[in-house]
Amino acid sequence: MERKKGYAFGTREVVYSALGAALYGVLSFATNMLALPAAGNLAFRPAVCIPMFFGVAFGPWVGFISGFLGNIIGDALSGWGFWFWWDLGNGLMGLIPGFAASMITDYRATRSFVIADLFSILGVIVGMGLASLSEMWVSGVDLNTAVVGYFFPAALTNIVNGVILVPILMVAYAAIVGRTGR
Amino acid sequence: MLISWRYRERNTLVQKLDPRARWIFLLAVMFSVIQFWDLRFLLFFFGLALLYYHLARLTWRETRRVWTFVLILVVIIIGINALITGRGGSTAVLRDTRHTVWEARWVVPGVGWVIHPFITVEKIVFALAQMIRMLTIAILFIPVAYTFNPNHYGVTFRRLGLPDKVAFAMDLAFRFVPTLARDFSLTLDAQRARGYEVEKLSGGLIAQIRKMAPLIVPVTINAIVGAEDIVNAMDLRCFGLRPRTWLEELRYRPRDYALIGFSAAVLVGSILVRTLGRLGDFWVPGAILRLFGF
Repeated sequence: MERKKGYAFGTREVVYSALGAALYGVLSFATNMLALPAAGNLAFRPAVCIPMFFGVAFGPWVGFISGFLGNIIGDALSGWGFWFWWDLGNGLMGLIPGFAASMITDYRATRSFVIADLFSILGVIVGMGLASLSEMWVSGVDLNTAVVGYFFPAALTNIVNGVILVPILMVAYAAIVGRTGR
Repeated sequence: MLISWRYRERNTLVQKLDPRARWIFLLAVMFSVIQFWDLRFLLFFFGLALLYYHLARLTWRETRRVWTFVLILVVIIIGINALITGRGGSTAVLRDTRHTVWEARWVVPGVGWVIHPFITVEKIVFALAQMIRMLTIAILFIPVAYTFNPNHYGVTFRRLGLPDKVAFAMDLAFRFVPTLARDFSLTLDAQRARGYEVEKLSGGLIAQIRKMAPLIVPVTINAIVGAEDIVNAMDLRCFGLRPRTWLEELRYRPRDYALIGFSAAVLVGSILVRTLGRLGDFWVPGAILRLFGF
């Protein structure tokens, strides 16, 4: 069984942070290229499950860097530029599920799925909430616009993606945990 | 799927600057511009951003997609903000002295709700200021993807004060990208050979998301398995026991010091103008009031 993750940031965390970020960036870019269904500024981005899952599996710092840096990489690949508050919001979407890491021992248990999903939902609400509200002082929008124009479209799709895909990744990860020798 | 960075060497003044100096400039201007609602100040920053963008020498062809997105977003957000939610963000827009240009009163049949949209000169000026502010930030940061060498992110942020391990994680992440893109492409081809049609995902939203699992899960799990070898290799080389050195060395030149000095002056000046000078609040030009007959 692997060493149980905490708040330490050693070699293992460095590598998994980098891996999570690269995966999030590549999968965001790839699913954008596949022209999956979307409406208005409501993007269908299944890759948001990556920082959440990396948080759940490897701890909060890995989750944070996966989300924060992964969003920067995805934007760099697509040519979108640099949007600090949205990068930070994506980081929080990985950080908060990471607080559930120490509560999860069996990646196949229903209890673990519920914990991971609850923390993922909380992460989306806090992360997208921060990014959306930051537009109030960055772009000068009012609260209603921040909520209707930014928060709802981003949070709803991210929650649905996370709630469905994080448990699927946990089950798949359970199959390889024993092989790592850690 | 071919992954290619938007970055390429352009031999421009912007790319000759030290990446640290450029990040300091971008962040200083961003934190300056968000302090102002006065069009006169905003236009100064807008001009500065345009100059920077011009010096980056990006072509319309390579940036048109992102510009389309930015312009649509600006129009939608300003439209919702100014018209639908009925106010601007600055409290000054809510002053009692409104100069109404247009208003209507509609009653929703059946429920009797009254909708009262209105446009004032103040709202128009606020929307203009908001648009200039959003575009200034977009113009500043769009060149990041095109002009910053991905191989320099790690050393840049290390030298800007980030811990060694975090900077190395950044460096490593950019190196993983081509490999993972290739793995994704192979997985996509393998699943297609089994009859998986990603372009024709049927069912509702939840069903469609679940059908993405055959793509996302194998790529992720394979990457995690492979990463264990990298962890072992790094541990065997005593990674993290001593401060690491970087292949690329960054050196400030006089022009970098000049840019950093200018950035600091802009930020400090903006803070002083706002706090001590009490300038930069929302302002309605008299010419625009006269234009609407007030």
